Parts: sequence; C-alpha cells; structure tokens
Amino acid sequence: MPPSLLFYLNGREITVDGNDAFQTVAHFVRGLGETGTKLVCEEGDCGSCSVLVGRPEGDAIVYRPINSCIQFVYQMAGAHIVTVEGIGRRKELHPVQQAMVACHGAQCGFCTPGFIVAMCSLFESRQNPDEIDVRNALTGNLCRCTGYEPIIKAAMSVDPATVRTMNERYPPNNLLPRLREATHNSLLIEADRRFFAPVTVAEAVRFKADNLGTIIVQGATDVGVLHNKRGFDPPVVMNLSRIPALREIALSAESNPGEAQTLEIGATVTLSELEPFFREHLPQFARILHLFGAPQIRNAGTLAGNIANGSPIADTLPFLYVMGASVELTGTAGVRRIGIESLYLGYRKLDLRPDEIITRIFLPLPAAGEILELYKVSKRRHLDISTITAAIRLGQSRDGVTEARIAFGGVGPTVVRLRATEQFLIGKTISRETLRAAGAIAREEISPISDVRGSADFRRQLTQNIFSKLYFATDEKERSREDAARVKRDRWVS
Amino acid sequence: MGVVGRNIPHDSAEGHVTGESIYIDDIPPLRNELFVDFFWARTSHARILSLELTAASRVPGIVAVFTAADLTTNCFGPIIHDEPLMATDVITFMGQPIVVLAGETRDSVKRAKLAVAIQLEPLTPIFTIDEALSQNEIIGQTRVISRGNLADGFEQADHLLEGVFISGGQDHFYLESQAAIVYPGEGDTLTVHSSTQNPSEVQHVIAQLLGLRLNQVVCITRRMGGGFGGKECQATHPAAMAALVAHKTKRPARIAYNKDDDMQVTGKRHPFQNRYEVGFTKEGAITALQVELVSDGGAYADLSPAVMGRAMTHVDNAYYLPNVHITGKVCRTNTPPNTAFRGFGGPQGVATIENILEEIAMRLGRDPVDIRMLNCYGISERNVTPYGQVVSNNNLPLLFEELVSRSDYRARRDDVLVFNGRTETQLKGISMTGVKFGISFNTKFLNQANALVNIYLDGSVQVSTGATEMGQGVNTKIRQLVADELGISTDDVTVMITSTEKNNNTSATAASSAADLNGSAAVDACRKLRERLAECARDYFAASPAGSGNIADSVVRSAMIRFEEGFVFAEESPDTRISFAQLVHYSYVQQVSLGERGFFATPGLAWDAEKGVGNPFLYFTQGCAVSEVLIDRFTGEVTVLRADVLMDIGRPINPGIDRGQMTGAFVQGMGWVTTEDLRYADTGELLSHSPTTYKIPNIQDLPMDFNVDYIEIENSVNIRGSKATGEPPLLMAISVWTAIKHALSFASNGEIPKPVIPATHEEIVMLLAGYENARVTELTAGVDSERLKADNSRPS
Repeated sequence: MPPSLLFYLNGREITVDGNDAFQTVAHFVRGLGETGTKLVCEEGDCGSCSVLVGRPEGDAIVYRPINSCIQFVYQMAGAHIVTVEGIGRRKELHPVQQAMVACHGAQCGFCTPGFIVAMCSLFESRQNPDEIDVRNALTGNLCRCTGYEPIIKAAMSVDPATVRTMNERYPPNNLLPRLREATHNSLLIEADRRFFAPVTVAEAVRFKADNLGTIIVQGATDVGVLHNKRGFDPPVVMNLSRIPALREIALSAESNPGEAQTLEIGATVTLSELEPFFREHLPQFARILHLFGAPQIRNAGTLAGNIANGSPIADTLPFLYVMGASVELTGTAGVRRIGIESLYLGYRKLDLRPDEIITRIFLPLPAAGEILELYKVSKRRHLDISTITAAIRLGQSRDGVTEARIAFGGVGPTVVRLRATEQFLIGKTISRETLRAAGAIAREEISPISDVRGSADFRRQLTQNIFSKLYFATDEKERSREDAARVKRDRWVS
Repeated sequence: MGVVGRNIPHDSAEGHVTGESIYIDDIPPLRNELFVDFFWARTSHARILSLELTAASRVPGIVAVFTAADLTTNCFGPIIHDEPLMATDVITFMGQPIVVLAGETRDSVKRAKLAVAIQLEPLTPIFTIDEALSQNEIIGQTRVISRGNLADGFEQADHLLEGVFISGGQDHFYLESQAAIVYPGEGDTLTVHSSTQNPSEVQHVIAQLLGLRLNQVVCITRRMGGGFGGKECQATHPAAMAALVAHKTKRPARIAYNKDDDMQVTGKRHPFQNRYEVGFTKEGAITALQVELVSDGGAYADLSPAVMGRAMTHVDNAYYLPNVHITGKVCRTNTPPNTAFRGFGGPQGVATIENILEEIAMRLGRDPVDIRMLNCYGISERNVTPYGQVVSNNNLPLLFEELVSRSDYRARRDDVLVFNGRTETQLKGISMTGVKFGISFNTKFLNQANALVNIYLDGSVQVSTGATEMGQGVNTKIRQLVADELGISTDDVTVMITSTEKNNNTSATAASSAADLNGSAAVDACRKLRERLAECARDYFAASPAGSGNIADSVVRSAMIRFEEGFVFAEESPDTRISFAQLVHYSYVQQVSLGERGFFATPGLAWDAEKGVGNPFLYFTQGCAVSEVLIDRFTGEVTVLRADVLMDIGRPINPGIDRGQMTGAFVQGMGWVTTEDLRYADTGELLSHSPTTYKIPNIQDLPMDFNVDYIEIENSVNIRGSKATGEPPLLMAISVWTAIKHALSFASNGEIPKPVIPATHEEIVMLLAGYENARVTELTAGVDSERLKADNSRPS
C-alpha cells in the first residue's frame, strides 16, 4: 500500500494518495460533490472557497478559516476540514446560518458559504463580538450583492450562547488520536510529483540537498496562486509543519533593563500566531499584519514565507529591514545567520544555498524613545497589495537624529534602504521643514515603475508625502486632532 | 394581514447558507460531457493572416475545434446585429473569441489553446473617446433631447460654467463567472442551462447562430451568482459556444469562465466623457444647460444605444432644466463591447448634473444642498422633464428636506468646515445628492411579461415567469404576490426554475422592473384562477350533497368569495368555509382547469427616440443620500465616515429584500466612484482582472455609520403600490464622490477640483500635489454657522 495522507472532512475520515494529494483542497472537496465551497478568484482574495481547518492543540481541535483554493491536499494531513456542508444542514442550521437567513445576509448566495465559514469561526470562542470584530473576521470575504450591512447585522444578532462549537459538533476525542497519528512520522508521496513532510530539520535539509529545486510549500498563499494562475507545479515540494522546533516563538531574555529584546520566530509560525505577540510588543507592526491580508491568509501564511518569497512589495520587509532583522538558514553544512538585507540579491533572488531552509527569524525590538513608523498604502485599505510600503526608524538624542533607517517597498525591484535620505537626517532635529526636505530627497532616490497599482509619478509623490505624514505622526498635538472615527476603526492604533 | 409587505427571507436563503444551492458549475457532470473553452484574441486590433488548428486538434483529449465557419450565421446583437461570435478576418478587441475548443478534460483544452497558431497583421487600435471621435468611429445615431431655447437661457444667466465630466468603467464582478451547460436532445434540439438574465435572448441567439428554429432550443436559468447587467447580453456568448459544441458533437458541453478570463473578455459599465456648459442665476438656478454625452461603446453595439438613451433621460435627474440641449453619441473603440450595468447609463447621466450642481455651489460660495433644492423638480409646476414627461407624484422635495433633517446635514457641514480649518493631515467633505430614476425599459415593447401558475391537487402551487433570480429576490416577491392573491401561505407556493419552455418571448430581467412586470403577470394568472375557483366555491357552498349546501343558492351566487389564510368563504358567511386544498380538489373533480397563463403589458408608455420626446417611464423611484468622507492628504486614502440613504420605494412587497437592494447598490456605487479602477496597458490589455488588482468594496469600506431607510408612499400605478429598487440606490453613492470633490475644494486654492470617477487614492494624491501652495483656509473654533456658510468660498 502506498503511503497516504489522512485527514477528516466533515467528520469523515479520508485517505488520499498519489496525484490526488497535489490537488487544491477546493477542487478536491468539490470533486467529492460537496459543491457548497465555491471557486471565484482562485487567488485567496475573495473568500468564497473558505473552509474551516481544525488542528489539534492540547485536548481540543482549533478551527480556523483558510482559503481552500490556494491550499493543497498534501498540507491537510492531520487536519479536520469542515466545509459549509459540515456546519449545518437545512432543518439543523447553525445559529450563524439562521441569522444570515433572517437578516437577508444572502442575496445571490455565491459568496454565502464562505461568509458562513468565516462567521462561524468568529463564534468558535463563544465570545460576544462587537462590530469591529465582525468586520475583522470577515475582511477576507467579498460580497457584491448585499453591501455587507445585512451580513454584519446577521453576525451581531447571533447569541454566542446558542452556538454549538465545532468541538461540540465533532467531539475531539473521536478525532484527536487519528489526527495526531497522521502527522507523527515523516511522509513521502511519490506520484507524478513528489511530496515530502519531514519531522526533523536534519531530515528536511537532507531531502532538499538530495532533491535540488525542492520548493517549500508551507502556507501556500503564493504557490497556490501560481499553481492556479500560471500552472506552476514544482516537481518536488516539501512541507515543514511536522517539525515541532520550527513552530516556536520566543522572546529573548532582557539582559539589561531598558535594552531591546529580540523576538525569535520559527519558520512555520503563521502570521495569525504572531499577531498577539506584536499587539503586545509592537502595535505598529500589529497594524501592518492586520492590514496584511485576510484572516484566511494570515492563518496560512508565515513570516518566513513572506521573506522567502522576496516580493518588493512584501508588506513585512521594510519593517524587517529597519529593525535589522536576521534570518537563520540551516543547510547540510550547518547553521548560519544572515542580515535580512544581505539575503536579497535582486528581484526575487535570494542568497540561499540549494540545500538551505529558513529555520528562524530574529527580530530585535525597538528601544525606548525610538521613532518607528510603518506605512502601507494601497488602493483599498484592507486586503490589497500595496502601492508602496515604508518603514522609518529614527533614533534621537538631544542633538537630533542619531540613527536613521528608512526602507521602502514598491519603489524598485527589491525593498530598498533610502541611504541618502537617512544620511540627510543624521544630526538634524525633527521638524516639519526637515522632513519636507527629506521627502524631496527620498522621491529622487527611488526608481519606481508604473503598473496596475499606480504610476511611477504617483509612487514618487507618495514617497515624498510619507515624510510629511511622519512629521504629523510625531507631532502629538496634530495626532490628537485626528478624527476619532478613523481611530476607532484601527483596533491596534493606540 | 396578507403576505405582501412582509419581511420574509429570500426563497433560496436556506439553500444559500448551507451550500445546497446549485449554480451552473455545481451541476454534476455527465459521463460523456465535454469541457469547452475558447481561444481569444491577445491583441486589440489586427487582421488574421492565418489560423493553424492542426496541432490544437491533435492534443490528446481534444474532441472538437470550431471556428466561425462552423456556424450557420456569425452575427447577432440585441439592438443592432453587428457582432460576430468569433472573429474571422479582423480582430476588433482583446478577448474576442476566435476558436472554440472542446475536450474531455479542462487540462486538455488548456493545452490545446496553447497549441493554436495564429498569424496577425497589426492594425492601429482605438482606445479613447477622443481618438474615436476624431476618426468618426460612431455606433448608431447621435440622439438629441432638447427643450426651450438655449440662447435665451444663457441670456438669462448671471454666471456660466463649462467643463468636462469623466467617468470610468466598472466591472460587474458578479461572483459566479459566466457559465453554461448545453445538453443535446433528439432531432437537433438543445437544452441550455445558462447563468443568464435573459434566457430568451440566449435561446434566440443560439437558434440564429446554429440555424435552428426557436422551438428547438430551450434555455433554463435556475439562478445566477450575481448578474448586475453583466449577464443581460454577455451570458449569451458562452452559452452559444457550448451550444455549438453540443450541437455538433451530440455530447453535453460545459463552459465556465475563470475570473481572470471573465474580466478580460466581457464588457463593462460604459466610460463617459461629457462636455457641459451651464448658465445659472446668481441664486444658483439653472437657466440653460448644454451637454454632450459621449460614451465608449467598445467594439460592437451591444446595448450601448439604449444605455445612452437612459443616460440622456437622466441628465436632468432631480432637477428642472428650463432650457436644455442634450446630445448622445456612442463611440466605437477596440475594447470588449460595453454592456448593461446596474443603472444602465443612469449613473453617468446623474453624476454629470450632480457634478455641475456641486460646481455651481462652489462658484457661488453656497451650500450645494440649497442649490439642489432650488433646482429640484416642483410638485405642480416646473415638473416636466426635458423629454416631456410629467414628474407625477414627485416626492423629491419631501425627501431632500427630510434627509437634511434626519442626517443633521447642516450642523455636520459646519463641523466639516471647522475640521478642515484645524487639521493639515486630513480633509473632510460632505455632500447630498438626489436620484430620480425612471422605471420601465426605454424600448416600449420590452415592457411585457407572461406567467404560468399551476395549482396541484393538494393545494400547492407552482409559478413560473420569465424573471430570473440573481439574488435580488424577484422570486420571493412573486411568491408573496401569488400567495396573497390565492389567500394561501408562501410555503404553499414555489417559484420554479425559469425556462423558455414555460414562458416564451420574455424580456431580460433588467431595468429594475422584473418584479413589476412578472409579478403583474403572475397576479393576472392568479386572478383568472381565482375567478374560476370562486365559481366552484359557489357551487360547493350551494350544492348538496356534493358540497356543503348550507348557503342559499340565491345568496351564494352573488356573494363575494374571499381567499384568506388557506381558506375560501363567502364574505357574507365567513364561518362556512372550505380549505383552499379542498376547493382545489373539488374543482378538479368538477373538471375545471387549474392552470393559467397570465400576461401583463405596461400601459401608457410612449417613446420617440428620433425626437427625444415621450413618456418612457411608468413612474420614477426617488431618493437622496448624504455622505461624509475623510481623506488622508498624504496617501489619498478615502474613508466614508457616514452615509444616510432615504428613498421613496412605494409600498414594498418585501421590505427586507428592498433594503438589501439599497445597501448593496449603494456600496456597489461606492466602488464605482472610489476604488474600482480598470487599468489598461498601452496595448489595451486589462491589467486589473482579478480581485487582487481590481478592488471592489470590502466589508471594512462600509461606513461605520450607515443609515438606510425609506418612506412608504403608495405608488398607485404599480403592482401593489410598490416601486422598483434594483438600480436606483446605486446612484445614491454619487454623493460619496461629490463629498470627495467637496473635501478637495478645501485644498484646491480656489480652483474647482476636477476629480474623475473613480476618485482613487492616486487621483486624489496627484490632484492635491497639483494644487501648489495649497493652504487650508484658516478657520477658528466658535465661528458662527452663518459666517461659515458665507465663508465657504474657496472656489470663487
């Protein structure tokens, strides 16, 4: 018998082997006749294909929504997938389904299963969400009919006490042993393509060395899109979810009071898992994560993936640049640590040896008194790829700026440090005029292109404007005037 | 209380929330089904020198490869027959079908598409309205609507303003992309399942292209995953391609566009470029208006002339124009044929005049609401449109006044002025716009519908009409109307799948009027049935022993028979009653027909397109909206802080469903005026062809403060006093755009700001950067509101 993947779908045990493991989850479940899961954009931007993916955590299964159009079946080992069909059927509707019926939350119905899934996850914790929670939970779902208002009303009308959670509907005792067992050992699937899921870093590195060109598919939020849109099907893929060491987040001990700490982030930690840490330690970056993508994307995507992908508009990179983050690379020859900026050699080109994998990211946190401002400018505020991204970190003393690190994305083939602008600011006192002059330098220091997200001129103007915006961000008086309605929308803005 | 007017859920709601509802691509495939796709032009304008299909047809799994030569006719079109299904010698737009391919799997078809070899001689494409005008590439005739004397009007004016108003296209972004499955039947018949708003047109075009009689083609539409006009004409193309395959191969054929292809090959909302000159008094009353409306029709006519007709009849919007001259011209360009989109030219016409009114107010330093109310149509005078139709039952003045008060507009406008004086990082704007949207197809004969009502022996009822369900709830409304007419529960009534087999020669589900027309036809059928059933009831009550026989024959013969809550009784004797189901069974035994065909044609309509005069509309749906926006001056990001929408929607048949139309249309309109930005490469290639790059509003874009309401005023000319709500609320979102314009006026240094639609972050940042030395007028707190009003004089 060939090695197979085991997972559950709506309470049923499923085993998959061979080429079927390389399908997307959406195609797989639709192929079983469960057509409630809809395909629209096939790039993780509309949420119509949302399903809940439950994974063992302690003695329960934690369910999170993901976009099944850009997840592969081989990633599902040891998971319990719940589609809209598994949430509630006619005559036994889940409270969110009842609410959506009563509040006219569905019109054409095509986006509805995705909304049901995302909304259902909102009530898994049984907490009473407010309107901001509802909006945040449903950011990844597009609806073209209702204008969202009836959907929000529906979510707000659900009494959390009436919700039967997924752990109640599908008692974990029945599932946990099988799910745990399914990811206990490493797994190699050899079909037209090859998939490997190692359980140790050593195993992973050895496999990568033996199979040159192996693509690590962890969150699949990019590979999934490339598969759907460009037929990108690498012959060998590897998933690192079974390696416990890579799932850890740690904050280095504070050696001296007041000294900055370093956050160590394992390569398979998802962006969702990072959010609570940043909300506590670095709200500026929590806000960027919040705007980064939908919950469905953050539940799958990783910081390591964002780094490895190396897109010049990757939302996290300017921040990692100014913080002086470094990346731990592990290969057959051992472990090395490399500064984030040295990692990039050109447009999506990384200084990564064929056998190496990213195992950890080290992120120094800012020291007290530093200015750190992060910006993401996009056509639509939420769930939109940036026109430009920016990170500005300034250290100040009484004599003015002592240290300046400025990184912009979307203004060149890679994320770039604006060295001339940094140089200009050293020794200056932050004032409106200084920053205006800095903006004028910055706009000339970049080499943007015109594309679907904006013209080169616009990107220059935005780059210049960011410095003026920075001035006001540092000016308490002006800040306090900012409209309350806006601040209310950004949970992470203090 | 009857079931009309009740807020019952959408009849598919439970199916939608459980994922049980079936859309085209959810239909399980048959064993020998073929997958169909098409090879489309990757260039906007070129001559085809050669087309080599051998390699494509040899790809394993490929069953058939077709070109235009395989069609009986390669020409169709809803108004002008000018569009080929597949290009033959000249490619006229990027996305135009050239070859239809059918294979055993999606993958084989994908590979065969790559194997098609084509040689082209490039031709110069036309992409802009200016280029088309200069080369006189015009579709159809230039139309005129004119009234009064322009010269006199300009003579009476104290001020003149002129300008160009530009609005961009918009993708429908229905979630379910275009799709169809065609099953071949015996004797060259075809059964077509199509995600279309217009099953009859799909039937007609397929028959025409394949050389079949209309009675050989049945088109069925269960539902659409959204339509918004995008499936009024352009669902026909995929259905026709699948029909070609099914007809030739005698195998079931399925086609389902992916989102990227759908966005690249289908037409959009029409871009417009409108030149205007307006004369007005020092009080702001318009004395003369000259407008040249020019739209980008794309490569073929599609519905463009009709869209232009609606734009021209909506330039007046809520406002009386004593002397007016409106011309309308459709340009031909090398883009996919632009098509119907919710509002159908109305938004482009209305935005033009709302922009003009905003500018008049800026020029005069007045509150634009005062200018709007001053120019608003009167109730008994100043109430005739430029095309001669009287605006009857005009509720606009009431709506304006009511919403000014409900939205606290005046005080909030003062707050906006103060806010803009205090902060240098943001700009606020607030604006109120109105809507008067004509209901009926401009083309008179389309205003007809038929319905089939069948009563079964257990008292349950099926109703079929030509209306198609795309989420708007037309089936739910018809269900309520039928249940109400027959005095039964909505649970007893099922609205059936739409099929040309049951309802022939139907009009598109469009022009907001599907419930008006099809609902009226269904009611007509019910009334005929009720008459027959009432006669049976009289027999039943009078007869003995067959019936109850307890009402005297003389009494019962003249009695009014009532149908209420599942029972039937004589008004004079309500205690002697029979259940509806029993009566149905009794009638059957009496050999009485229990099925009926209803028909409705809207009375009193007339439209002379040549002269631009007539009564094209049965009535007007009206409303107004106040929107307040906040702009980040550095990033151009727009936040709609609050929106208030108030409409006159008659007596709603289903308030919940109508409310859903209002919220949904408003947000869709908000997308059109802000973030929905169709970006093209120089080659004409659409770059924004998926939600990653084309940004429809997200849940976070919904204003945190969103107040949607309606006033109930019986609309006596329409079914059960209701009004259509499908399209009109989309136009309310124009207030978001005028609010942006208002906000920009605080930074424009005295210029009238000229944003285009959509006012994207880029548009805003670049406009602001252009206002050199822009300085916000310094305002201090505590300024009295009178002075603020007088002081709002940046553009002078």
